[in-house]
Amino acid sequence: MKADNNSVIIKGNKYGIVVVLDPDIEFDELKKIVSKKFKESKKFFEKAKMAISFEGRKLSDEEQKEILDIISNNTDMQIVCIIDNDPKTEELFKKTLEQKLMEIESATGQFYKGILRSGTSLEFETSVIIIGDVNNGARVVSKGNIIVLGSLRGNAYAGAGGNTNAFVVALDMRPTQIRIADTIARSPDKPVKDETKEAKIAFLEDGYIYIEPLNKSILNDIKL
Amino acid sequence: MGEVIVVTSGKGGVGKTTTTANVGTGLAMLDKKVVLIDTDIGLRNLDVVLGLENRIVYNLVDVIEGNCRIRNALIKDKRYPNLYLLPAAQTRDKNAVSPEQMKKLADELRDEFDYILMDCPAGIEQGFRNAIAGADKALVVTTPEVSAVRDADRIIGLLEANEIHETYLIVNRLRMDMVKRGDMMSSDDVTEILAIDLIGIVPDDENIVISANQGEPLVGSDSLAGRAYMNIARRLIGEEVPFLNLNERNSFFSKLFGRRK
Repeated sequence: MKADNNSVIIKGNKYGIVVVLDPDIEFDELKKIVSKKFKESKKFFEKAKMAISFEGRKLSDEEQKEILDIISNNTDMQIVCIIDNDPKTEELFKKTLEQKLMEIESATGQFYKGILRSGTSLEFETSVIIIGDVNNGARVVSKGNIIVLGSLRGNAYAGAGGNTNAFVVALDMRPTQIRIADTIARSPDKPVKDETKEAKIAFLEDGYIYIEPLNKSILNDIKL
Repeated sequence: MGEVIVVTSGKGGVGKTTTTANVGTGLAMLDKKVVLIDTDIGLRNLDVVLGLENRIVYNLVDVIEGNCRIRNALIKDKRYPNLYLLPAAQTRDKNAVSPEQMKKLADELRDEFDYILMDCPAGIEQGFRNAIAGADKALVVTTPEVSAVRDADRIIGLLEANEIHETYLIVNRLRMDMVKRGDMMSSDDVTEILAIDLIGIVPDDENIVISANQGEPLVGSDSLAGRAYMNIARRLIGEEVPFLNLNERNSFFSKLFGRRK
């Protein structure tokens, strides 16, 4: 089979690049095309740091090393690691990476000062502390935790990235809906007439969202 | 330099037009030169509430489109010589004017008038954007109902987004007997949710319906609602006026000895 332009394909994904290699051509031929391809895309990658994985052709360790050498000789990019093209390891890799990201999202946060009025929707990549009220019809979404130093009357969605340890705290907790990861809880149909305003926390446990007064033992259970 | 104040609410039927008519008339009674602009193009009724419908020749759209000069379209009130109305067109719709044109018009009126009151239509579409375009301040009218408060909240958010930060709340049609029974939100409840300055509480008063039907604003009369509106006008010009005691009407003694002033 003759080598053509599609004998080596470079694809990008969230974590780095995937190099698809033609299994049917001579290895020396393949090396030439790899060299050509990466030379062409040198500008595009610049000094990027990325992970690499190979698809389409089984490479011996020796061959893999040769190709990596070609890449580093022809581009300025840094190959941080090689990912085996094995779905299981890939899954594991993704999981640990996402887990790590999630921790960062919950453990870091930002402040927002102001009243969130009906019709406003705020989304945060990290945890958020809102100094003000979240009114009915407003929405806060955070990949981490949500803390409202005021009344929470609207919708709060914590752990939007899937973090089931995320929580929502409000000084006055009367939300329309609370969502933590993939679980949704809504307010009771008949309004509860409790006049006491106390700080409460909403958290996820065994697939249910619980809302409880903030006390020491609950604070101890918080996982960041 | 005159001040442009928009009277708005989001929800319909909570008393924007009645408030505009009464607060505007109140300001005129306090010797201010006032113009009321009905921006509800296509559904005008500020002229009806003021009893000036039969005097309309030109309207807001005529002014904007240059069919007449502003002074031709302004209608002088029949009772107060320093109160004017710029009526809305009835045969057109909200898209007949743009926010920029409204702002220009409001700015032209600033030189001649102390207060320019914009009666805003319900909703948050073009009509609302027109009405708030030139405004310095906003009077947000709501009734003590969840739906009206919800809409007022949205409106306040939109006003803030449009750089109108001086917003004042009017709680309209409050019924003290229902509040006492716990069947209606109190003005405190409403203020707590909306978190803006309260400038007036107007009790539910059947005289309002009568006055609107007769085309005679109630403000300045001895009725509770009339006094409440006058107080709003006085607070707008910077006077410190305590809130009315809305319970007095139901007290036994006031019935026996007549209402205390």
